[in-house]
Amino acid sequence: MIRVCHLYPDLLNLYGDRGNIIAFQQRCKWRDIPVHVQSVNRGDKVCFRELDFVFLGGGSDREQILIATDLMKRRDEFAAAIEGGLVVLAICGGYQLLGAYYLNRDGENIPGLGILDFYTRAGERRLVGNVAVEVSLNGVPFKLVGFENHSGQTFLGDIRPLGRVLSGNGNNGRDGLEGVWHKNVFGSYLHGPLLPKNVRLTDYLIGLCLERRGLNKELMLLDDDFENRACEAMLLRLVHRGNKLFC
Amino acid sequence: MKLRLSLAILAGKITAWVSRFYGHKGSSLPGVVARRIYHGALRDLAAQVGRGVLVISGTNGKTTTTNMIVKILGDAGYKVTSNLEGANLITGVTASLIKDAGIWGKLNCDYAVLEVDEASMPGVLREVNAGVVVLTNFFRDQLDRYWELDKITGIIHDALHKQKQATLILNADDPLVAQFQKTTSVPALFYGLGANDQSARTGAQTRDGKFCPFCGAALDYRFFHYSQLGLYSCPGCEFSRPVPQVEAFEPKVEGGQTRCRLVYDGREVELAVQVQGLYNLYNALAAFSVGLHLGLDSGPALDSLGRYRPVTGRMEVFNYKGKLAYLNLVKNPTGFNEGLATLCAAKGSKDVFIAINDNDADGRDVSWLWDVDFEMLGEDHRLFNSFVCCGLRGEEMAVRLKYAGVPINKVSINANMHQAIKSALAGSAGAAYLFSTYTALWPAQKMIKKLAVEGGAAR
Repeated sequence: MIRVCHLYPDLLNLYGDRGNIIAFQQRCKWRDIPVHVQSVNRGDKVCFRELDFVFLGGGSDREQILIATDLMKRRDEFAAAIEGGLVVLAICGGYQLLGAYYLNRDGENIPGLGILDFYTRAGERRLVGNVAVEVSLNGVPFKLVGFENHSGQTFLGDIRPLGRVLSGNGNNGRDGLEGVWHKNVFGSYLHGPLLPKNVRLTDYLIGLCLERRGLNKELMLLDDDFENRACEAMLLRLVHRGNKLFC
Repeated sequence: MKLRLSLAILAGKITAWVSRFYGHKGSSLPGVVARRIYHGALRDLAAQVGRGVLVISGTNGKTTTTNMIVKILGDAGYKVTSNLEGANLITGVTASLIKDAGIWGKLNCDYAVLEVDEASMPGVLREVNAGVVVLTNFFRDQLDRYWELDKITGIIHDALHKQKQATLILNADDPLVAQFQKTTSVPALFYGLGANDQSARTGAQTRDGKFCPFCGAALDYRFFHYSQLGLYSCPGCEFSRPVPQVEAFEPKVEGGQTRCRLVYDGREVELAVQVQGLYNLYNALAAFSVGLHLGLDSGPALDSLGRYRPVTGRMEVFNYKGKLAYLNLVKNPTGFNEGLATLCAAKGSKDVFIAINDNDADGRDVSWLWDVDFEMLGEDHRLFNSFVCCGLRGEEMAVRLKYAGVPINKVSINANMHQAIKSALAGSAGAAYLFSTYTALWPAQKMIKKLAVEGGAAR
């Protein structure tokens, strides 16, 4: 049984991010891997140590401040679970929260959880549009596609990015990096949502969860025709421009 | 000054002729040109409207509500000008008045009924003195353009604040809309839908306004109609659903018709509209409330609503060799959910066509598809014969259906819209439902018209 936790689904649910949970859950179900999804809202009890996969989405500014206060109370337990191999996917606002701080336009410093070594500051313009990113999991390079929409610009410290931007802005529109990757934690600006049409990443996360449970992480192959075509359609537009390639 | 207005009108009219000659709809371009020549064109023309300017805004239902109001007023014998084509930015609004103005700068009409895009409200209300402002609802719409709902309601609030001469016609069931009576202190009239047996069926949907706009507490709901529309009250402060002056009960959808019992002023009547969907009932309630506020007789107003026929892509009906086909515009999760609810409620088997584009006017971010409850299709997919996905993001749509639990052998992707539409119309199911985002709607309608006959609802 893989234990999944959707953090603050009532507040962090912009841009169809629940699709990430749907994709994770369905791809387990189609392989007969039992999954339990728990929704955790403000004030609810949660034990991170016992979980396998935590998903944190993005919200509007107001909602983000509401949940930051709540998450701060659970910070130490969350950080310890992460060091212990908890699998985490954090998108956009949720991603920013894992870092040291967010410097807003008024110069106000809003502290983050400080679990990962990066910071974010408000940019001049909003970074909006389709994105293609090259990543490498298990030494195999492949491409992710998604849609970004953020005004915060994230700068990584001594920590690895999720991938390299092929098209779009990524973390800050300057250094060509996108997302963050530490142990089993993945942060990214990619909505879309990310997991349904980037199934290699989804399966990689499922594999990590199985491993954490001490189970065989080899996954049964699925028919990914629609997913690959959706991914490929965007890559054709952004990267290859006519040169057909699978993602 | 008069001369510049004349010049602007003339240039606008010429632009309209030329663009129509080249086959463009060109509904806002004349406004762009006219405003270049004379920035005060809209202000001057709107000031000449005899009885009053009515402004309709909100996320969903603007076009239908506008058209219903125009129908009621027109049938009552008034001369009405309106942006019926749905060009609802300030340029489109300007263009609609230019269309009906004489080149000497005279506009002769009783009412101007203007559909206005939410983000264009401040600009339009700066130039136009609205006697009535109708707000339908606020849902997430094209987030890459509007970012967040908070911003939009903030913009509308600032725009309304200065309209002390206006009366607001507000949807009582949407807390995001109902809040404006308190926050602007502009007089308001409310319409709403009472509890019914369909209420709360969609409680799991993404609800945008579930927190109190005044104190931030989670609102308590006695029931939901759809999304955040329902009977709510705030446990933290005194905000609750206002008692509507116009309230509908026991809505029923049957054979392409939607009917309900309508209570107002201590009177009780029956309202029936020839369009499907609960959301269309809301549009009719808004239009009826406007008529009531303007002092029209309710009997003829109800008759007008009964004779109202949907415009392009608002559950527009076609007949393909005896098989009914419904074309519906989709642009955000709430609208799509209501379209799907209508689809699921209709009896018999269905072929479904969905075209998703991601041009600017559609919203470039298609992630909103994941906020639509396609899962309701997966629950009982035996009712569905086939799904054909089309448009620039047709593949994305197919992925969404697959993860919603629709068997993949019922789903196909076809980038050729003509073939895709044909396959839905000619499929073996009893009816066809076609959903399309904005920029795919006109091409889709054109192709359907070539294949099928218009009309054929409610027999």
